[in-house]
Amino acid sequence: MNREKTYAIAGVGYTPQGRVPGRTSLSFHLEACTNAIADAGLTKDAIDGLICYRHFPASSDENDLTPHLVAQHLGIEPAYLSQDAN
Amino acid sequence: MEYKKPLPRINGDNREFWEGCRNHELKFQKCASCGHVRFPPSLVCPRCLCRDVEWIASAGAGKVYTYAVYHTVYHEGFREDAPYVVAVVELKEGPRLLTNIVGCSPDEVSCEMPVSVVWEDVTPDISLPLFRPSA
Amino acid sequence: MLDAGLCRNVLISYGHNALSSDSLLAMLMDFAGDDAVFGHFGATGGYALAARRAMHEFNTGPQTWKHIAVGERAWANLNPLAVMHGRPMSFDDYLSSKYVVEPLRLPDNCLVNDGGRAVVVTTLERARDLKHRPAVILGLGQHNPSVQVTQSGTLAGSTGARKACETALSMAGITRDDVDACEIYDCFTYTVEVTLQDYGFFGPGEGESWFSEGTIGPGGRMPVNTSGGQLSEAYYMGLTPLSEAAMQIMGRCGDRQLGPATGTAEPNIILVSDNGGILQAHSCCVLGRI
Repeated sequence: MNREKTYAIAGVGYTPQGRVPGRTSLSFHLEACTNAIADAGLTKDAIDGLICYRHFPASSDENDLTPHLVAQHLGIEPAYLSQDAN
Repeated sequence: MEYKKPLPRINGDNREFWEGCRNHELKFQKCASCGHVRFPPSLVCPRCLCRDVEWIASAGAGKVYTYAVYHTVYHEGFREDAPYVVAVVELKEGPRLLTNIVGCSPDEVSCEMPVSVVWEDVTPDISLPLFRPSA
Repeated sequence: MLDAGLCRNVLISYGHNALSSDSLLAMLMDFAGDDAVFGHFGATGGYALAARRAMHEFNTGPQTWKHIAVGERAWANLNPLAVMHGRPMSFDDYLSSKYVVEPLRLPDNCLVNDGGRAVVVTTLERARDLKHRPAVILGLGQHNPSVQVTQSGTLAGSTGARKACETALSMAGITRDDVDACEIYDCFTYTVEVTLQDYGFFGPGEGESWFSEGTIGPGGRMPVNTSGGQLSEAYYMGLTPLSEAAMQIMGRCGDRQLGPATGTAEPNIILVSDNGGILQAHSCCVLGRI
């Protein structure tokens, strides 16, 4: 195995789950992301890629949720950003 | 009485199909090059990418490929119908069509059951192709 | 993009206030398109069409799916974070539950919940210097049949799972026999069945016997969805299975940890899946310890 071309999951971020009223989808993204960064033992400045799962229609009281918005709120400027998955 | 269910959105691709429906005709694109009969209507044939088509009229006979019985009302317009049957019907000419099976109880529907088209005129411009068990 | 050197540390994120907001209804209407004309909405209806066709083509149905729902619920009861923790389910509970879109009952459906999940992916070299044992990506595969459920002729399989798994196993240089556990995208019970079937764990229609006797639950010979999965833990699209596989490999799963604690094999190799659309896309990932 070529170790230079091998990748691994180094951190996992959780949030409260189930019925958690009064929260925006964006806030769950941000909580999960910041927890995952801390769990890996990294700082946000190390994050240079961001993939957000699927672009769902936002709730009627929330703005459109894009990866750019997540990056903005995390204060990161990824070299690669995409909205992936189905 | 006002029709309360969603209506199809007519566009440049599907206009001919829905105009056919208004005249109680099931019309499909047949590829001029390879003969593949396709649905939904589209610019190119998914088998050979040829753009030339001839529109053919289906005889309206087919069989149930699969079906699902809706016990849940997701849209108010369907409240009085539940439980109702949504099915994919495979027509003799080839294409598959999402539709409803009417004229029998949900318990009587089965995969491969022969069905024929019946028309439901829901507005002056829109008629829906539904299917019932073949006689 | 990691491979191309564009990035070193990539975040993958999901968040949704699906339960407490009105966005799920908007999503149902948004995704239905013209299918709504015939009262066809959402994923349950689409997977119900697939599951019904499978019932026609081979031996499957509630007697197979009950093992999946009950097995995953047993895992959820070992996971204090799981939405269904503390709510055990029996076969009778399953079989007496209501239909949502027949043939799928309520416990055949994934949860609708608020919450989020994220993972950080980095190079193995870097991961070795970080806090946890790295969950190494050994193989990846994807296949996209793409055809809408209303046009598909392969609702009973084979789905994109077959090719995606072949690619991932081959990249990892392993076979199915090397797999210690599976974390499978389980939007519906039938999805788990058809995925494991297409992965080759059993032949079409052999699922009922393969799943019986607690195969996938705690103490089983092939643990599946050890957090409770999307059916009983929480729904975060592909991040439910992927994050749980990573946590198992890291050895951070407490009462549900694979290995001696749960009478299961050590999780050296875990097969992870993700689905998109209604069986239109499939991704398979081999995660492991090295």
